[in-house]
Amino acid sequence: MTQLMMQSLSPLLIVAFGSVLSLLLIAWRRSQKMILTFTLAIFVCALLASISLVINLTDEVQVTPLMKVDNYGNFAFILILVASIAVGFLSSTWLTHSVEVHDEFFILLQLVVLGAGVLVMSDHFASLFLGFELLSIALVGMVGYSRDSQYSVESSFKYLILSASASSFMLLGIAFIYSQSGSLSFAVEAEPVYSLFYSSGILLFLVGVAFKLSLAPFHLWTPDVYQGAPTPVTLLLATVSKIAMFVVLMKFWFSQTSFFTQSFVSNNNVLSTLNLMSVLAILSMIIGNVLALKQQNIKRLLAYSSIAHMGYLLIVLLIISPQSVGLAWQSALFYLAAYVLATVSLFMVLQLTQCNHEDTEQSIGDWQGMFWQNPLLALLIIVAILSLAGIPLTAGFIGKFYLLTVAVQAQQWWLIAALIVGSGIGLFYYLRIVFTLFNDVSVEKTSSLQLPVVGAKLAPVMSISAIIFILSGIILGVYPDLLSQVFIGF
Amino acid sequence: MNITLVMCSLLLGGALAWYAEGVKTQSARWLALLTVLIVSIYFVISITTTGVDLSSLQVLVRLSWIDSFNIEYAIAVDYLSLVLVLLTLFLAIICILVSWQEIQTKTGFYYFNLLASIAGIIGVFTAVDMFLFFFFWEVMLLPMTALIAIWGHENKHFAAIKFFIFTQISSLLMLVAIIAMAAIHFQQTGLVSFFYQDWLTLDLPLSTSRYLMLGFFIAFAVKLPSVPVHSWLPDAHTQAPTAGSVLLAGVLLKTGAYGLIRFVLHLFPQASIDFAPVAATLGVVSILYGAKMAFAQQDFKRLVAYSSISHMGFVMLALFSFNAIAYQGAVLTLVAHGLSSAALFALAGMVYSRIHSRDLGQMGGFWQSAPRMGGFALAFTAAAFGLPGLANFVAEFLSLVGAYQRFPLMTILAAFGLIGSAIYGMVLFQNAFQGKRQGESKGQNQEGENNVNDLSKRELLVFSSLLGLLIVIGLYPNLVLTFFQHSELTLAITSTAGGQ
Repeated sequence: MTQLMMQSLSPLLIVAFGSVLSLLLIAWRRSQKMILTFTLAIFVCALLASISLVINLTDEVQVTPLMKVDNYGNFAFILILVASIAVGFLSSTWLTHSVEVHDEFFILLQLVVLGAGVLVMSDHFASLFLGFELLSIALVGMVGYSRDSQYSVESSFKYLILSASASSFMLLGIAFIYSQSGSLSFAVEAEPVYSLFYSSGILLFLVGVAFKLSLAPFHLWTPDVYQGAPTPVTLLLATVSKIAMFVVLMKFWFSQTSFFTQSFVSNNNVLSTLNLMSVLAILSMIIGNVLALKQQNIKRLLAYSSIAHMGYLLIVLLIISPQSVGLAWQSALFYLAAYVLATVSLFMVLQLTQCNHEDTEQSIGDWQGMFWQNPLLALLIIVAILSLAGIPLTAGFIGKFYLLTVAVQAQQWWLIAALIVGSGIGLFYYLRIVFTLFNDVSVEKTSSLQLPVVGAKLAPVMSISAIIFILSGIILGVYPDLLSQVFIGF
Repeated sequence: MNITLVMCSLLLGGALAWYAEGVKTQSARWLALLTVLIVSIYFVISITTTGVDLSSLQVLVRLSWIDSFNIEYAIAVDYLSLVLVLLTLFLAIICILVSWQEIQTKTGFYYFNLLASIAGIIGVFTAVDMFLFFFFWEVMLLPMTALIAIWGHENKHFAAIKFFIFTQISSLLMLVAIIAMAAIHFQQTGLVSFFYQDWLTLDLPLSTSRYLMLGFFIAFAVKLPSVPVHSWLPDAHTQAPTAGSVLLAGVLLKTGAYGLIRFVLHLFPQASIDFAPVAATLGVVSILYGAKMAFAQQDFKRLVAYSSISHMGFVMLALFSFNAIAYQGAVLTLVAHGLSSAALFALAGMVYSRIHSRDLGQMGGFWQSAPRMGGFALAFTAAAFGLPGLANFVAEFLSLVGAYQRFPLMTILAAFGLIGSAIYGMVLFQNAFQGKRQGESKGQNQEGENNVNDLSKRELLVFSSLLGLLIVIGLYPNLVLTFFQHSELTLAITSTAGGQ
């Protein structure tokens, strides 16, 4: 292993080494504060390493046949780390409620990040599967972590069984692909024969991925698991696991050059795979948005809206010329960045408002009138929601602009139509949340319903991070060059 | 002339008003009024002193903004945008004056939204980079939606969501068309560009330009609004606070017409000519349907809202007649309708503040106790149905004369709309101001049955300035029309139409 390889793999190595050290640390002394600090320190170190890599790395580096480090993966890993740091912070406020010491939780968190890191760097089905399982198994433990909660067992079982079946589908698919191409590497040396076997292999593989991305019609687990899991874990599910799976899917997809080379697209099997992808995307956009309409529970609503967002993102896979690959990557990364920003903001507020009254379900009504009581948090929600809805002035709009650009270049008019219809439907529930924030809190309601006492006091750390998230959401929306120029350098 | 400065100071003034309200109550409205006044004075001075010939589009600012897509911050004006910006600023003052007493809660935030919305509208009228245009197009919506959703009447959330979704979906269609245009520009020149004047030089195949034109057309038709996509307007108007209605009817609808002129007709001349019969039919249907529906309404604001649909139908018909006279009529209609409908909505707001109802069934006999209000109301309804001497008459007359040369049959039908407008105008006036007060008066005026306070000085100022402008333009329409007589715009339109 050369020094370059070591260097380019350093973020992953830091996280891996860090989790081993954490185990030792626990054996030495069990203290929640210590393990939290240590975990955050690991993530920050890895983040710094990734950022320096993005700056210094000029070309992709193949590290063993298993991994390929490139800047796209690096940037995705930065997003993952940012989200995980937020998860770490949020869980520290959540875990203080009981007397136990929750070392395991942080170890699991590190393992999730490690798994996600392996996924975004992988260039080989073996490493893909390794990362996939590491991610899933650690997540199962985290989803069911709060044992005394009502839904915890249900949701963790659902997640365990469904992700196990997803990985078995995926394994079978990988086996089929291997049987035809003779290689487990993503990059195919010789153009494979698009036999039925190969296509069905890809199909099965996609089923596995679709489970994780909760694309319709494989989305059924999402709302229940989102609702049952502790809020920080839900955030983990919504961001880290989805980013990692989507990036690895893109890596796989774009290595199959035949998906966007004209001469191959006429092939029936290739065509059916592409059509299948469009159908998945359109279904997710419509179903996710329609089902979100009637939700009162914020977590369930976000679960359904995340289905729709993954559907929008699939657009970048359906390009028609190799020249578009760069733009597709930029679009996906920008969209993911905006999505992560918005999702982290929303969950931050969710966790903060939850702290004050634990026994109630988090329904939209809890946020009633927040704008007049706590403008900062309400502004955070508004920017995040508008970003998810793709309204200008926010990062989400630029993300949507990117997606539409890719779709127009690829002339995917059906996908564009679905995106427009989907975002139209989406506005219903997004605006409902925003209007709730502006609602007057009537006097009778105050007495009967226990209102969240948000904004009585915000910890300074939280205020500062709220301001940072609001600003970055708006700045990226008004001046996206800050990020997109970075991508162009990749 | 610095449009950016105008927009920034409006935003800044709004933010200041928001902040000041927390320090001292009642200060927000003064600050807002002061900001708009200063901005308007600055703007008027700068246009009178500018030496630039504005009969063609003059680019004022052109800075690169988002390099990845070669998007620029580009602002340009010509007489069309100038007139509309002036109308916007004038109505902004009216808006602040009519909300003087009406808005009692969250006042600071209200004026912030009002000014932000006005800044966005000015941006729409002046942006020439299409991405920037789209940006402003959406930005003006957000505060407008907030105005409806927070300070609106009983069914405000429904109306606000409906308003937002209609415009948002249609504008996404426009966004797709914009991106497709940029992609075509890339194919033809190897460079992505969102700059309006670059697009004018593109050589579009007719088949593609038909689809792209539709993308723009739908977005603007929703805003205008034209018949199949008009249903947001009555709801939004009815539920919005008075200033919201004034702004909506006075300027927001004009952004649709502006878009049709600036983008649809100029970017896709041939496709527009082919599409003209359909568009003109939509216009005529809007005129007749709007008038019919206005006649059937019991709600004061709903009636005026439907009458707006009817009047904007004239604009659509005139624009798609490709004729210099009709074009002048269309532009004049924009101004005249902006003033007269703003006045009618302000009237509705004043009546509402007195009797707390918009139901025509509960009005009546106001003339006795409020003769000044009645006089103005008569004048404004007369303006709405096109009484000679007032601006609307000239505007509609020119529109019809111009349109007749191209669509004789449809113009004859459209002329029936004038009769319709006289009927609903009279219905409105009679129900509210003549006869006896109907229905139970609720709590407010128990001592005197028909006691409706007459106009206050502030209200008098609002009405007399509106009426004054209507009369001046009505008697001397060249005040507006001189700008459009020999402008490049009319020439471009007639030449494309003639070349057919």
